[in-house]
Amino acid sequence: MTRFLRILLAAGMACGVFASAGRSLAKPLDIVFVNPGKTGEVFWDMVAQSMQAAGRKLDAHVEVLTSERNYRTMQELGFSVVARPDKPDFLILSNEESAAVPILEAAEAAGVKTLLLSNTLIGQDAARLGPPRQKLKTWLGDITTDLQTAGARMANALIGVARAEKWQSPDGKIHILGIGGDEITPASIARNAGLKLAVDAAPDVVVDRLLFANWTESEAERVTANYLGWASRKEIRPAGIWAGNDPMALGALHAVIAAGLVPGRNIQVVGLNWSEDALREIKAGRLLLTDGGHFLLGGWSIVLLRDYADGCDFAAVSPRVEVKTSAITRDNLASIGDLIRMRAFDRIDFTRFRAKAGRCGQYDFSLDALISSLPLAEGVAD
Amino acid sequence: MRKDEAMIDPDCNQEGAPPRLRSVVHAMIWATVPVLLLVQLLASAGVEASSFWSQVRQLDARMVRVAESRAELIAEPLWKMRYDQVTGVLNEIMHDETIAAAAVYDDTGAAIARVVARPEGQSVAEVSRPIHYSNGNMAVQAGRIAIAYSRTTLYADAGSRLVLLLVVGLLATFATLIAMRISANIFIGRPLAAMMWAIQRSKQDGRAYPADVTSSNEFGQLARAFNAMQHTTSGALDRLGHMATHDPLTGLPNRRALTERLAVASGDGGSPGTLVAFCFIDLDDFKGINDTFGHEAGDAFLVQISQRLRGAVEAEDWVARLGGDEFVVIRPEVSNEQAAHAFAQQVLDAISEPIRLHDKQVVPRASIGLAVRHADDPELSHLPTLADIALYHAKSKAPGTVAVLDEALQRDYRRRRDIELAIPTGFAEGQFEVWYQSQVDLESHEVVGLEALIRWRHPEHGLIGPGEFLPLIERSGNNARLTRYVLTDACRALQRLAAAGRPQIRIAINLPPSELADHSLAAELRATCARFGVAASLLELEITEGSLINNIASASETLHRLRRLGATIALDDFGTGYSSLAHLRRFPLDKVKIDKAFIREIPDSAEDKAIVGVIASLAGTLGLTLVAEGIERADQAEAMREMGVGLGQGFLYQRPQPLEAVLHWLDGQPAAASRVITESPSITPEFAA
Repeated sequence: MTRFLRILLAAGMACGVFASAGRSLAKPLDIVFVNPGKTGEVFWDMVAQSMQAAGRKLDAHVEVLTSERNYRTMQELGFSVVARPDKPDFLILSNEESAAVPILEAAEAAGVKTLLLSNTLIGQDAARLGPPRQKLKTWLGDITTDLQTAGARMANALIGVARAEKWQSPDGKIHILGIGGDEITPASIARNAGLKLAVDAAPDVVVDRLLFANWTESEAERVTANYLGWASRKEIRPAGIWAGNDPMALGALHAVIAAGLVPGRNIQVVGLNWSEDALREIKAGRLLLTDGGHFLLGGWSIVLLRDYADGCDFAAVSPRVEVKTSAITRDNLASIGDLIRMRAFDRIDFTRFRAKAGRCGQYDFSLDALISSLPLAEGVAD
Repeated sequence: MRKDEAMIDPDCNQEGAPPRLRSVVHAMIWATVPVLLLVQLLASAGVEASSFWSQVRQLDARMVRVAESRAELIAEPLWKMRYDQVTGVLNEIMHDETIAAAAVYDDTGAAIARVVARPEGQSVAEVSRPIHYSNGNMAVQAGRIAIAYSRTTLYADAGSRLVLLLVVGLLATFATLIAMRISANIFIGRPLAAMMWAIQRSKQDGRAYPADVTSSNEFGQLARAFNAMQHTTSGALDRLGHMATHDPLTGLPNRRALTERLAVASGDGGSPGTLVAFCFIDLDDFKGINDTFGHEAGDAFLVQISQRLRGAVEAEDWVARLGGDEFVVIRPEVSNEQAAHAFAQQVLDAISEPIRLHDKQVVPRASIGLAVRHADDPELSHLPTLADIALYHAKSKAPGTVAVLDEALQRDYRRRRDIELAIPTGFAEGQFEVWYQSQVDLESHEVVGLEALIRWRHPEHGLIGPGEFLPLIERSGNNARLTRYVLTDACRALQRLAAAGRPQIRIAINLPPSELADHSLAAELRATCARFGVAASLLELEITEGSLINNIASASETLHRLRRLGATIALDDFGTGYSSLAHLRRFPLDKVKIDKAFIREIPDSAEDKAIVGVIASLAGTLGLTLVAEGIERADQAEAMREMGVGLGQGFLYQRPQPLEAVLHWLDGQPAAASRVITESPSITPEFAA
């Protein structure tokens, strides 16, 4: 038995070594990421950082070019990369405001392989250019987050607490306020749709309003205050506030406190983004949860490209990879809090997330997988 | 006329003039301008009121639209609780000055946003609209918007526009007034003034002047019609003027022309030293020619006379016909009175040439009164009167001659005129006296009657005889009055006679010819007799032959009436008039008085004796009593008695005297009461008829 185990372990180790050795034999990759965000913009900074951390683990040099929220700059950066004599292996773009489409076409002309991250083609562009690798051969695919599920998960968390605490209004219903970022971007629409999906499935729940706070804390605080005033005049007992991102959730918290309510005790607020402030509020018991983790798309994209370069094409399943998000609550806060707070993405062993041989395109980017990839001591230490 | 004159001039201000003038232009302006002003003001006010209400409605509608549009804009931020945006949207509408305040309420009724522009005035209206929010999944009423807005601006605007309209209306009215005034003056006043000017000038010098109007409008037509009328009038005026101053029969100037000529002549003064000869010509017995040959021939006769007069005078002389058979010839320059007389005689000779009428030779006869005056005599206009005095003299004293006006004639004339003018005073002051002269029975020498004879005791001219004043009485139409005066006095005298024991004496009064035509005379005579209690049979009425001739039928009627009362009728002055013996038969006569002309020469004149004898014989046959007038001597009385004349009257017995004197005189005379009764008139059946 022991012998068998030893053989099995040895075989397993050998496989692993071989596998990694086989891959490590592959040439190093040269990847350029045109960051649509601004320097200091938490989400996009974290995307780039996770991307670079993964590069270091997977023998890929990741060059990050920041367009500083200027799409013209973004296009110029993309064009210059495509026009380089020494062309990179891959160009990662985010199709914010559909600004990446001309770069995709230029890259197609130059034979530079591209991957869309977080924002893929939408609307007319999607119809015109079709799925990846058809009209645009070099467009390998996209990697996005399933934000609708995130929205629904957040709502369900609120509903669950409200039901348990019996926070029904005089009309017998659980009244929830929704705060969306905007009404047009696919990222916002998906989250809002998740909220609707969850509430539609719960006949005892009413979303009094889906208000829009332009992703900002201050506006969210203002509309929340307005809502709370209105609700008190309507003799509604507000049970929860669903915020499309963490800053808006924090704004809502301020308004709730200003209105004399105690968040976490007689009202619950949820957010999304895994932001440090949100984690602090969760720890303080004022915020129920923050969903997210999609900044890891940066790291996951390098995983996909490494596998693709090594001959294990993620398109074996689909050229479109959708990554589920996860919620951080008081329960799992300890495992992941420091990673986020410290941005210690190098602690993540990205090699563990590569597709297994013969199972190209199949990835597990879940929070559990992430937690388990981290060195145990640190997770326990927090 | 003043009114008419003034009417044409609109600018004519005659404030002081009694009939206050209002020109047609003023009347038009006064009639139209207030109406215009009123209509304008009413129309302006009406339009403004309508405009005001329309604006109020528009404002209300606009506010509704504003509310609705804001509600649309606000719906989403309100629903999404972006109350700052709600306030922002609400604030935007506050740029509208009419909006005083606005508020947005949410579905709980809480005021989400409230903006107040200004303190609310009095005239604030409010509009409220629901705010509906909807998206793909839902549609709800998110709240309500209320807008309070002020109409004050509208009121102020309407007020200022009204004032403006009033001012514009007044200015328009004023402009219209001036325009009307000017145009009315041009189109109405001026043509009227031109026509009035023409009328006034025409009135001034009797010629027809055209009006100077050239316009082609109605007034132009009126002026042309007026001018045509003036033209026609001009000819008519000329003809009328000629007719007014000329005799249509002979074509000679008439009396009016004479008056004008004399007025002009006395105005001119003439050259001193020269004499003007004025001949007043009157044809003798022109009536006879008319009666004999007819009026047509009479006219032809007058025409011939006028031609002769024209032919007889020089070019500078002037001939006129004054009417009837009166002509005037004026010679403006004669050297002396003799020359004038010769000229008049020459004219008379020219007239007196025989004229042929109906194959009959007629010798015209005329009398001329000649007056000669200096050419510079300021009273030349009196020439016709002066010449008429001379003519009167000629006609009465020497027909068919020229009588020259002299001092004596003028004196006579003045006396005549004085007496004539004094007649009313004479009656009023009882200056007329009735004297009585007795009629005596030539056989018995008894007084059987008295003749009442009128006298005038004039305070200046003394006692005037009837021969002088009776024609004047007749001319002045006082015959009846005088007759009644005499009749009354005679009745009173009869009373006195009766009282004096002479009841048988009768009184005769003279009836002038005109009285015979008066049918009321008989009734008055009876009434007067009754008043004095005397018998009408004691009255005798003396008439002349001439009075019988003029109106035989009427005279006969009156005489019969008088006679039926008992009065007797005597034919006076028998033998001097037409002396138709037929009269003696035809009329109811009782007495015939032989004129004293036949008595004067008796008994020396055999012819007179023969005449009287015949008359006496005739009277005897007809049963008439004869009275001899003018017996002055006893031999005359004797001769009369011998020829069968019953009664006598004259100075031999008694001169006419006032009644008192007569009564006194009668006291010395024998009374013969018994005889009177037998002498009372026997009315034969044939006379009574």
